[in-house]
Amino acid sequence: MTPRRTRFYLDKQNGKFLGVCAGIADYTGIDVLLVRVGFVLLNFATGFFGGFGLIAYFVVAWLADKKPRELDYEDREDRKFWQKVRARPANSIRDVRASFRDIDRRLADVETHITSQNRRLADEIEALR
Amino acid sequence: MHEALIPIAVCAILFIGLPWLIFHYITQWKKNGSLTVEDENLLDELHALARRLDDRMTTIERIVAADSPSFRPALRDEHEEDFELPRSPERTVRTRRREH
Repeated sequence: MTPRRTRFYLDKQNGKFLGVCAGIADYTGIDVLLVRVGFVLLNFATGFFGGFGLIAYFVVAWLADKKPRELDYEDREDRKFWQKVRARPANSIRDVRASFRDIDRRLADVETHITSQNRRLADEIEALR
Repeated sequence: MHEALIPIAVCAILFIGLPWLIFHYITQWKKNGSLTVEDENLLDELHALARRLDDRMTTIERIVAADSPSFRPALRDEHEEDFELPRSPERTVRTRRREH
């Protein structure tokens, strides 16, 4: 299977035990501490049903793959971007379009500045004749 | 007669109706909510391209502004700050990891 950005992976590097909670935190963008505390609380709440949470934890750890190296994020912004893609793909596509528009606008600004400067220079040369 | 039908109806609802409902919504959610592999790669590429162009644009703006003080780069939104700031530390960590 090809590695994909929108699939759930275990995050063993940041994980405490098998990396399931860290993987969930990495996938959703929720703080890892919150995920862990929530998991433990859920375990206590469902502890009466034969430790279902723990079984689920090990099943997930067994089924999910370790995160491939080529999917490592370049930086924090990259990570935030992909977390947003997983939550709302359409919005993130719109965000990319917005950033392209921003670049276009700035490029237009620079272009106007440079061309107007050249025109001033041409006017001055014209005046010297 | 009616008493005999109730357990059958309950079993039918529990073991056929409920999974049906769940899988129906799962398939619908998968159809609407996820990107195909090609779309994902395209998005990855476009995102990287946008960031590269943004970097280049910043460089050019800086050069032009240094050349002529009359040029003022337009005000940037505040989200671009976290575009810039945390980049360097994590990148150095990552390159260090690669060297090992």
